[in-house]
Amino acid sequence: MPRIQDIGAFNTVREAGLAKLTPAVPRLTVGMGTCGRGNGAEGIYHAFSEGIERSGTDIVLAPVGCFGACFQEPLVSVRLPGKPLVILRKVQANDAGRILEDVVAGNLSPDLIYCKIEAWDHLTGHVRYGEGYPEVPAWNEVPFFKSQKKIVLRNCGIINPDDIEEYIAIGGYQALYKVLIDGRPETVIEQVKAAKLRGRGGAGYLTGNKWEFLAKAKAEPKYIICNADEGDPGAYMNRNEIESDPHSLIEGMIIGAYVMGAAEGIVYVRAEYPLAVHRLNRAIEQAREYGMLGENILGRGFKFDIALVEGAGAFVCGEETALIASLEGEAGRPRPRPPFPAQKGLWGKPTNINNVETWYNIAPIVMRGAAWFTETGSPKSSGTKVFSLVGKVKNTGLVEMPLGTSLKTFIYDIGEGATAGRQVKAVQTGGPSGGCIPHDMFDTPVDYENLAQLGSIMGSGGMVVMDEDNCMVDVARYFIEFTHSESCGKCIPCRVGLNKCLRILNRVTEGAGTTHHLELLDELSRYIRDCSLCGLGQTAPNPVLTTLRHFRNEFEDHILARRCTAGVCEELALSPCENSCPLHMNIPRFLQLYKEGRLEDAFLSVILDNPLPSSTGRVCQHPCDGRCRRQTLDQSVNMREVHRFIADSIFQSDKYEAMVQAVLARKLEPTGRKIAVVGAGPAGLTAAFYLALLGHDVTVYDSQSEAGGMLRFALPEYRLPKSILRREIELIERMGVRFTLNTRVGTDVPLNDLDDRFDSIFLSIGTWKESWVYQPGTELKGVYPALNFLEAVAAGQDVSIGRRVAIIGGGNAAIDSARTALRKGAEAIVFYRRERKDMPAIEEETNAAKEEGARFVFLAAPHRVMGDAKGCVRAIEIVKTRLGAYDASGRKKPISTDEIQRFDCDSVIFAVGETVDLDFARASGLSLKENGTIEVNRFTLETSRPKFYAGGDLVTGASNVSGAMGYGKQAARNIDRHLMEAERWARLFPDVEYGQTLPEEPSPSRRHTGQELAAAVRVLSQDEVVTGLSHEAAQDEACRCLRCDVKAVNVS
Amino acid sequence: MAQKKLSIRIDGQLISAEEGQTILQAAKANGKYIPTLCALDGLTPVGACRVCLVEVSGVDRLFPACTTPIQDGMSVTTNSPRLTRYRRISVELLLIERNHVCAVCVSNGHCELQSMATAFGINTVEFAYNYPKLSLDTSHPRFVLDHNRCILCTRCVRVCAELEGAHVWDLTSRGIHARIVSEMNEKWGQATSCTSCGKCVQACPTGALAEKGWAVEEMVKNLGTVTTLVHRRGVEV
Repeated sequence: MPRIQDIGAFNTVREAGLAKLTPAVPRLTVGMGTCGRGNGAEGIYHAFSEGIERSGTDIVLAPVGCFGACFQEPLVSVRLPGKPLVILRKVQANDAGRILEDVVAGNLSPDLIYCKIEAWDHLTGHVRYGEGYPEVPAWNEVPFFKSQKKIVLRNCGIINPDDIEEYIAIGGYQALYKVLIDGRPETVIEQVKAAKLRGRGGAGYLTGNKWEFLAKAKAEPKYIICNADEGDPGAYMNRNEIESDPHSLIEGMIIGAYVMGAAEGIVYVRAEYPLAVHRLNRAIEQAREYGMLGENILGRGFKFDIALVEGAGAFVCGEETALIASLEGEAGRPRPRPPFPAQKGLWGKPTNINNVETWYNIAPIVMRGAAWFTETGSPKSSGTKVFSLVGKVKNTGLVEMPLGTSLKTFIYDIGEGATAGRQVKAVQTGGPSGGCIPHDMFDTPVDYENLAQLGSIMGSGGMVVMDEDNCMVDVARYFIEFTHSESCGKCIPCRVGLNKCLRILNRVTEGAGTTHHLELLDELSRYIRDCSLCGLGQTAPNPVLTTLRHFRNEFEDHILARRCTAGVCEELALSPCENSCPLHMNIPRFLQLYKEGRLEDAFLSVILDNPLPSSTGRVCQHPCDGRCRRQTLDQSVNMREVHRFIADSIFQSDKYEAMVQAVLARKLEPTGRKIAVVGAGPAGLTAAFYLALLGHDVTVYDSQSEAGGMLRFALPEYRLPKSILRREIELIERMGVRFTLNTRVGTDVPLNDLDDRFDSIFLSIGTWKESWVYQPGTELKGVYPALNFLEAVAAGQDVSIGRRVAIIGGGNAAIDSARTALRKGAEAIVFYRRERKDMPAIEEETNAAKEEGARFVFLAAPHRVMGDAKGCVRAIEIVKTRLGAYDASGRKKPISTDEIQRFDCDSVIFAVGETVDLDFARASGLSLKENGTIEVNRFTLETSRPKFYAGGDLVTGASNVSGAMGYGKQAARNIDRHLMEAERWARLFPDVEYGQTLPEEPSPSRRHTGQELAAAVRVLSQDEVVTGLSHEAAQDEACRCLRCDVKAVNVS
Repeated sequence: MAQKKLSIRIDGQLISAEEGQTILQAAKANGKYIPTLCALDGLTPVGACRVCLVEVSGVDRLFPACTTPIQDGMSVTTNSPRLTRYRRISVELLLIERNHVCAVCVSNGHCELQSMATAFGINTVEFAYNYPKLSLDTSHPRFVLDHNRCILCTRCVRVCAELEGAHVWDLTSRGIHARIVSEMNEKWGQATSCTSCGKCVQACPTGALAEKGWAVEEMVKNLGTVTTLVHRRGVEV
């Protein structure tokens, strides 16, 4: 190919390229970036090329780069002549035959289709593919691409990166041609300045100003450098840009060289990016061949060439002075600035360094003008930025967004939020130099200034999303470990300071941290930030400073409670299940004991960890299930059912008495201290059990006629038979706990009275008030708050609900109400204002309700209840909702529409959430939080009043049984420690020897679940629905445990 | 050619200094003290130890006095609670990084790190000691290198490369693992490029490089020999 020297030759090449891009025959392309290859794109490419060869059909096959949707890799695009370009996703090699057949037949395989492109604006040129396929969504209609704007990634995934002709076809090198013909470098600099393009490497310095410095520098020669030393963990936009579209970089650099007067350019790229190196080398060769590099570029007399240097992978070499040192053959250690590279750079000569992405913006700015560029982005930061959105979101990949877009848009609209059952907690921007931004600040627009204000940086564009499984202390530790090992060692703050930081963070994650460590960390981080020589050290403490600022409570959990809620810090947890259990039951121990056939020992282990094992075995929300590592193999171990089985085996047998004696034997000597527990719900019962075991004299007060709280009065019989609960409460009573029932504290017994008579008081009255929504018609006969309804039924009262019941809400109370109504022979319709997947109710319960015949209407909120002349309910009107933006809970907020529907019904049950009885809380004189819950020290549960402790729903707002019990346990331990001025807790628990060997190579096995009565049968009675495991099933289930608690493994 | 004169303020005092001077040079020329560890007259400043950081009015960042050129009208503060605190941390971090046991050190009483610690009133450290396991290189017939006492100021590296022209010394490894090495990590005694001139030993601020044959407290460095050499060679100080 002769070098292009005039416009005629240029246009000829352009035509040739267009013919390749939109040929008269079908064209198939395979996304062959590193991401695509990692997912098997090469195999697909080979399968296609073999298939085409074998069949002899006329199909053009080409490799392209990556289109950005990493979660859908490998991507293949198909274009039939005159038709849109259709992108297929998750294509496998064995799909190739079918796709080829379809292409020949002129069809598409519907199951693989992702989106279509009818026309594409390459900014420097425009390609029309054709119209058609009305059923296929356009690329900018799918959520991942919807709000994206592709400037930098304009050619990525569409053109063949190995073919300069295709690049020229879409308007490539036109900007260069224009600049060379105009021959006025200063206007280009003015243009870049007016575009307010800021360096995309992270610091955000104005590119136009930087160019001006070099253009004005006197010394010769001058150098320009492209910094492609992308080293942040989780960031890969530069790699993809070079792999997918190397010529845009070359063109940007030639334009830069021309306007700044440089004759030599260098691309410093990581050696860990072999494909990028390969493609860039090839592109440089082609550019030389076609006359874009070398002497007399495009016949305009300008001389310039580019050399490629592979960096050895030191993170610090991304710092410009270290990069220059590395280019000069020295160790990559930064030098002090001034002198700046524009004064004294490579070989002491004036040098300009820009990041890869900065160079990609040049050609569009030249072609479309500064005014066009500033249309996008925020006033101070124009244009777009490419981010690699990774971590705990559904959709991951490269995302190019206008600067100033809110984090919410990134995470919820593009990323579509957290994976199932999880909640996004934070996002980390800017890699190891950036910081963690908490969920409640997701409205922040992403630009240089705003991120800096939150203590983070934009950096090169890494965006790592974290959910509740990420421990923020560990995140800080991880990044410090990274920067610590990448520190060059030149200056003291970075070399020794980061080392010290890391050592302290290690102590904290090991559970050996102190509060003084937090002060040290804070001071050390500020010192490193302010005193370090280069950008690496100056930004390295950001992860620590931001986590200390936004997630201090997690540090405190590690230090004061020795807990890592996320379950990441291994030393702080026995196993993931134990860590997730609010009662911190030693689950592996009871499974192992049962597996060994030691039922009594297993029971003792269970009961000493959890005084209501039969009840919780039935109704616990079982967070352990979601953490079980067995999930990665097949399904999680059904721990809840096993401890239910163990407990039932004792409670329902003649071993009961012997076990009561065994538990009594653990009781410590009487202390003579008197403790009152207010509220006989799960929290109160648990606290009473432990306090009694610790030797205290415990009296439990409750306003109801029976102990058990919500377990007794809100949970229906078919879920938790009252006889089971009674047996457990009997055991607690046998420990010496006294119950004073039918007594309301605050009215029947004043708090001051308790204060006088007891050494300590634990308040756990729960949330017994329905958060009532006053709507037209709620005063009618037949409208019930769910709790009152359930309570009345549980107490055996006759509640008339008629034949059709409408239930409002999506929580457990709503489902319980629906199933209870069904058992009373009524029809039940549940109205919920969000979608099924947003329901807070336990999934199994919702399924069971559905089986039993409950109807569900989603996206429906109550509008008004209508009555008849007698003041009885006759119908309910609901307003349909639609889902709007994401709210603080990470779910889409329902917004009312105009559509109103009417349902005839005889009663309405509102189950929209419970709150604390404010009258009691106010009267207690304790300091309250805004939502009316009692304020406590979250570690000791002490309230603002001496001697008074509080826990459970009263502190958290409505939650669940095991959560409340966890508070009871925590309260007992703290009350005892405070009263006895000693740590006596461990004395309650016997040392039990049990097997500490890992199971043999586990083979996949099925999770056992309890037997369920048939829906048609169970709905006719109050009989318990789930009958529990058989002995064999429980044994099998215990054997499925992988024993994450066994840390030391003997390898023989 | 006469240098252009610039007016700057150091700690409020108006000073006339020459263009091209660093803050440290201007301060020294006017009898103002700024603490330093890695800087040495006649050697290229590297800005590594960060104890010479100063504040410049109107800028939030701190500047190393040894490498920052003065600008007309600049107002420099060499001492403030923040600077004192940070300098103290720097020295403390050096003390905990390696094994500085003054009681058994040949340079005890003649050590720049020790005297700076004394000047800052450091008699205890807030951070836990690292106690790394480090080696000694006693292979040279006249000198000894003790990594336990090295603070990585690189004065030896620069004096050898810039004055002696031998470039025996350099740094190897990164971060906390960085070490001074002779040649390509040879034993010093086997380093054929070493002329045994001893400049590195004289330039070393601590007991890391010392002459053999001295007992505790006996190794007195003579920095004058290095700076005199610089003057004799006509190198601008």
